[in-house]
Amino acid sequence: MRFFRQDLHTLTGAYVLDALDPGSELTRFDRHLDRCQSCASEVRGFREVATAMAFAATTEPPAEMRDRVLAAVARTRQLPPEVRTHARPRRTRSAAPWIPWLSGAIATAAIAVAVFFGFAQAHTSSELNQARAQNQALAAAQARVEAALSQAKEHDQALAEILGAPHVTLLSQRTTKGGVAVVVLDAATRKLVVATSGLPALPAGEVYQLWLIGPVRIVSAGLLPTAQAGVTTPVVATGIVKGDRLGLTVEPAPGTKQPTTTPILALPLPV
Amino acid sequence: MNPNDSDASRFRSATADRRGERDLDDLLIHVARGDQVAFEALYDRMAGPVYGVIRRVLRDPSQSEEVAQEVLLEVWRTAARFDPAMGGAATWVTTIAHRRAIDRVRSTTAAAGREQKTADVSPPHDEVAEAVEASLDRERVRRCLDSLTEMQRESITLAYYGGHSYRQVAELLNVTLGAIKTRIRDGLIRMRDCLGVS
Repeated sequence: MRFFRQDLHTLTGAYVLDALDPGSELTRFDRHLDRCQSCASEVRGFREVATAMAFAATTEPPAEMRDRVLAAVARTRQLPPEVRTHARPRRTRSAAPWIPWLSGAIATAAIAVAVFFGFAQAHTSSELNQARAQNQALAAAQARVEAALSQAKEHDQALAEILGAPHVTLLSQRTTKGGVAVVVLDAATRKLVVATSGLPALPAGEVYQLWLIGPVRIVSAGLLPTAQAGVTTPVVATGIVKGDRLGLTVEPAPGTKQPTTTPILALPLPV
Repeated sequence: MNPNDSDASRFRSATADRRGERDLDDLLIHVARGDQVAFEALYDRMAGPVYGVIRRVLRDPSQSEEVAQEVLLEVWRTAARFDPAMGGAATWVTTIAHRRAIDRVRSTTAAAGREQKTADVSPPHDEVAEAVEASLDRERVRRCLDSLTEMQRESITLAYYGGHSYRQVAELLNVTLGAIKTRIRDGLIRMRDCLGVS
């Protein structure tokens, strides 16, 4: 659907009431907001109205909720502040609108859902949520993946840092042998987490090996762990350089220094 | 008895007016530095609006509680990302709350069949009027909602309290998308002026 500039401008109200359709419309408006000073100031004023409406709806929450929240707070690590490297607060979203930018808070859930359901196309968090909601039977299994992820995070500081990073990108692609690789990329630190779902099992003596395929050289990013119920536990790769793609090949165990077969995956990494 | 109570009330007593926007900002800045006592004080001020607005959108008490807990924990986790230049702490927190409630609505719509819930959305305006507990905010907001045209009022309350997208609101009120956009915006401009937002 096409919108004229003027149409976009009149969406300030619907935007503040969270009444825009998620997806392209919201993205377009977000981008417009970056450039439109008068829209931004109108949005600020409207937000105050929305705040008053929220206060007008004040309802005493159940008393137990306080204890539960405070207990959760006591065992939850806070995110560090964003360190500004640009003069203006940036909106990473506008950099590449087709790539879903996730907050760290939902990255874990997103990767779990995407890996479990083997999504290569469903990208945005709302699509993932929808898929999760639609499929009750798989929701329980997905919860197990999430639990395994959070357990892995406790043991793996690097993994926890990436999944908790302020702006991460969720990428996914099918391999030429079937199955899907899901990547959470933290462009700021040039690290990623990759997990896969539904890759065909390999005969003994063969392994899946990850590569960072750059314009100048190819570096091994380690082996994929053996899949549990079709899903591999997340692997961290670091030192991504501009132009790198994430590659996956089948290699003789215990892996090789350089790829010896054609990659079954070559996913561009926008850093 | 919580040994931290006196600390928490230290923050509370510093509040001059009811909302105490600036004090809330200060609280949130302390929260960002990991101050759990400040968070308790913030909780006591914000849990009501957070739970209330989520409850208004979602209706279901247990779901609302779940989302409210997530929101309050998100406030704790991301407090360092709060930027006072972009609006006050109350706005920051209630914006997150409303957005998360809407996320929940949109994600469960396909599964649960929202039609049923849509049917029992009584006009939120009446609910405001029927509010059990009279409060200044309620009074102010009700008075300002009353100053709108019926179409403006319905558009805004169906979207904000009813959790409908503006396309759904257009459908419900049987008017064009363009008309809804304009009515929501015009209505908010009038609300803004009525509430005395600078």
